[in-house]
Amino acid sequence: MRSNEPALFVRDVRRTFKSVKKQEGLQGVLKLLFRPEYQVHEALKGVSFEVQQGEFTGLIGANGAGKTTLLKILSGLIPPTSGDARVLGFTPFERSIEFRRQISIVMGQKAQLWWDLPALEAFDLLRALYQIPREVYRTRVDELTALLGVEKLLNTQIRRLSLGERMKMEVIGAILHLPKVIFLDEPTIGLDVLASKRLREFLRTHNQKEGATIILTSHNMDDISELCKRILLIKEGSLIFDGNPKTLIERDECTLKVKLLSSPEAAQVSTTLGLDASAVTMDEEDPTTYLIPIARSRITEYFQKLLANFEVADIGIQESSLERVIQRIYQS
Amino acid sequence: MTTAFSSWGMEWRIAAIRNGIKETMAYRGDFLLDLIGSSIVPVGIQLMLWHSIFSSQEGGTFAGMTHAELLAYTWTSMLFSQIRGGNHDFTLIELIRTGGLNNYLLRPVGVVEFTYFKGIGEKLITAGMCLTLGAIATAFTSMNLSNLLMGLTLALMGNIIAYLFGAILAGAAFYWENAFAVLMVKNMAVSLLSGELIPLSVVPEQYALIWKALPFYLFVFGPTQVATGKWDAAMWGTQMGIAFFWILLLWGVLHASWRFAIHRYQGIGG
Repeated sequence: MRSNEPALFVRDVRRTFKSVKKQEGLQGVLKLLFRPEYQVHEALKGVSFEVQQGEFTGLIGANGAGKTTLLKILSGLIPPTSGDARVLGFTPFERSIEFRRQISIVMGQKAQLWWDLPALEAFDLLRALYQIPREVYRTRVDELTALLGVEKLLNTQIRRLSLGERMKMEVIGAILHLPKVIFLDEPTIGLDVLASKRLREFLRTHNQKEGATIILTSHNMDDISELCKRILLIKEGSLIFDGNPKTLIERDECTLKVKLLSSPEAAQVSTTLGLDASAVTMDEEDPTTYLIPIARSRITEYFQKLLANFEVADIGIQESSLERVIQRIYQS
Repeated sequence: MTTAFSSWGMEWRIAAIRNGIKETMAYRGDFLLDLIGSSIVPVGIQLMLWHSIFSSQEGGTFAGMTHAELLAYTWTSMLFSQIRGGNHDFTLIELIRTGGLNNYLLRPVGVVEFTYFKGIGEKLITAGMCLTLGAIATAFTSMNLSNLLMGLTLALMGNIIAYLFGAILAGAAFYWENAFAVLMVKNMAVSLLSGELIPLSVVPEQYALIWKALPFYLFVFGPTQVATGKWDAAMWGTQMGIAFFWILLLWGVLHASWRFAIHRYQGIGG
């Protein structure tokens, strides 16, 4: 792979799934036995993007948007129905040994280490699979377990670990061979605030130190906003945003927080500003403050209207959070 | 040494076997119960069957075999019936069905081979136990240690054949998702055609062609014949050659069928 070549290259990737249409009742079951009907689901509808080496990119979308399908295509688990996907210059589905040595995937909802073995035994098996020299392996296990604070749990069976402890072991297992590309599918799912924070710090450090390209899928927007300088937002199989999360926030509407000297009804303020009657609400934390959702481009216009019609005591702009922006996009 | 070992890919295979053994040993009670239960039931059936047949007649033979020969077959076959197969073909179906195969497909080794080496650990422990039991038995019976070792080698070849055959059938799960019934039917046929339930030498000549044309007799009947001295070293050599042929053939079929079927894999879950 050339140094200027993108780590991930995805061009017009589509993927459909065909499945038997299940039907209700005994009649449906019998019909299924003799004359099955099939349904086709289009999980990805022509997705294109590139990710440069060393980038930490967030892949987000609602449940069923196509994120995991995309990760499966990029890691070589399934082929795309059409389009071109390349990772580190390899066609993933060919699954060459060299390709498999350089990637890793963590699926938060699936255990990848062997359930009945202590973590150390599982790591040792990974050492043999990836042919990591013993000395390097020992140093790496010591470093990684110390960073995540799980060094005392190495001899505990994986199935006896808590979810957070198991997840940390899964992440260590995934990066033990220092892959160049790491796919993380909801690594902080079910983790408490402290465990999530520690894992995030660990991932950030690893990305900076080793220069690994990381694709992170998460429903936890703290993960995305803290770690990713770039997000890929997928909705119903299509890529609808590709860029810095701040751009997405700035593009979204913001909220004017206004205190008035008089106390008109919120509906009256709405009507005066030419908005729907229910658009303006009162702040639950401060009942004397009006919250006015507006498009960023119309801030001056609303300022003028407010000053012309009311005696304004205080005015400020509340930025939208990434979580709220994403929530609005999912709902739209 | 380590480098040469690694470059031959032996290190990960040994590590997989070692891990398989550790996994098995994590549940010692279950392992021993399974081992004892699955040995005693078929042996019990055979002993009862032969007792019923011979108690209804004065002396004589059954299909050319005396009661003593049938009992010797029954006890010796018990040693080898535990080495045949294993559940790793069922493991493959479960991995395909649940999407657990994802984890194996991304490792830099062959998924079918890796599953075999992880699964064979249990059978190697069983083989060791059989060898010990058999060695003890040589002190009290006409069986000798070299015959036992030759029989054991053939049984281990049979184990590879059993897995390859099971892995080919497990590929049905790529199409049907749930394909356990295929392996259940296979196992029922194998119980009979391997010589686990009855010695295949009692099967009438017109049906003998069936077991001779299939590789299953190499699992139990063949090794038992070698261990009891019914088949000599030359015959053992021939059977090893046949076993090798089957391994090559099934390996080819397995590769071709999985290469095609893997396109249907959906890696469910995530």
